[in-house]
Amino acid sequence: MHENARFAFKGRLRTKSFVEFAHHRAARLGLEIEVGQTSVDSVALNVSGAAELVDAFEMACSLGPLDCLVLDVVRHGSGLAA
Amino acid sequence: MSGGDNWHPVGLSRSIEAGSSAGTRLFGQELVVWRDTSGVAHVWEDRCPHRGMKLSFGFVRGDHITCLYHGWQYDQGGYCQYIPAHPDLEVPKTIKVPVWLTCEQGGMIWTTLSENPLPMSDDREPTVPLRSLYFGCGVDVAVAALDSIRLVPFATDASADTTVSRVNDMLFAVSCAKDRILIGVQAISDARTAFHLAIRGAPEFYEGTGQNHFLGWALQLRHALEHSAEAANSVVGQEVA
Repeated sequence: MHENARFAFKGRLRTKSFVEFAHHRAARLGLEIEVGQTSVDSVALNVSGAAELVDAFEMACSLGPLDCLVLDVVRHGSGLAA
Repeated sequence: MSGGDNWHPVGLSRSIEAGSSAGTRLFGQELVVWRDTSGVAHVWEDRCPHRGMKLSFGFVRGDHITCLYHGWQYDQGGYCQYIPAHPDLEVPKTIKVPVWLTCEQGGMIWTTLSENPLPMSDDREPTVPLRSLYFGCGVDVAVAALDSIRLVPFATDASADTTVSRVNDMLFAVSCAKDRILIGVQAISDARTAFHLAIRGAPEFYEGTGQNHFLGWALQLRHALEHSAEAANSVVGQEVA
């Protein structure tokens, strides 16, 4: 099952490091990723691919790279397609 | 230190039975050496892409190796084929373990960390495995100690000189009269080295008594090398001090 998800990862983020980490995880999981608005405390991402792997992506990014601390994850507009 | 385009021994063929796996290191890089149930040997990065667990702790079933942690299964190409938590998921090809070229020769399993390795010679002469020895010193110190050990011949009673020759960058031959011991040198790290020893010759001649004869020599070699390593480390310590 395919899913399109919009994420906002919030916390104390080093934007460059977090976005690199997200790209690496998305590539590993075979997901499409687009980076939206970024700041030192929030990074917006659009991610699409197999639903199970989008979930895995959320889990991986909630842990984040060593130099970032994710305090909250907001997930919007999951569009599921069979 | 990375090994360049050379091939490197990572164990005796006999030490990895079909359906088993073991962890080792080459230039500090952690590797899993495993043999599928059809007998083909594989050398991969020793790390599951999922959570980083060592694949050498996993188990081999048929032509795949399974991570001990969450059961992710990888085929012979290193591609994840099955995730037990998501049995219906078509696993993307991006979930893959880095694999290294592997071959077996001279009774040893060889690998290379290069994507464009030098060609491996085609050596199909029979060998009889002896054992692997591990030392707390670098390759240069270990190899230098080879010159200090005399081989007592097995195939003949006649006394003869012992000679050490280099077959390739990581393979040495210690010869005496008709006997020849192959030594594959594994650079585990800057400070650890393994020697993988095999007798060049027919199994029907050397197995049993011949192996026992040269095992004694192997123990002398280990003793000499440990002594050399201690001396070298002592010198290094004095230089640092």
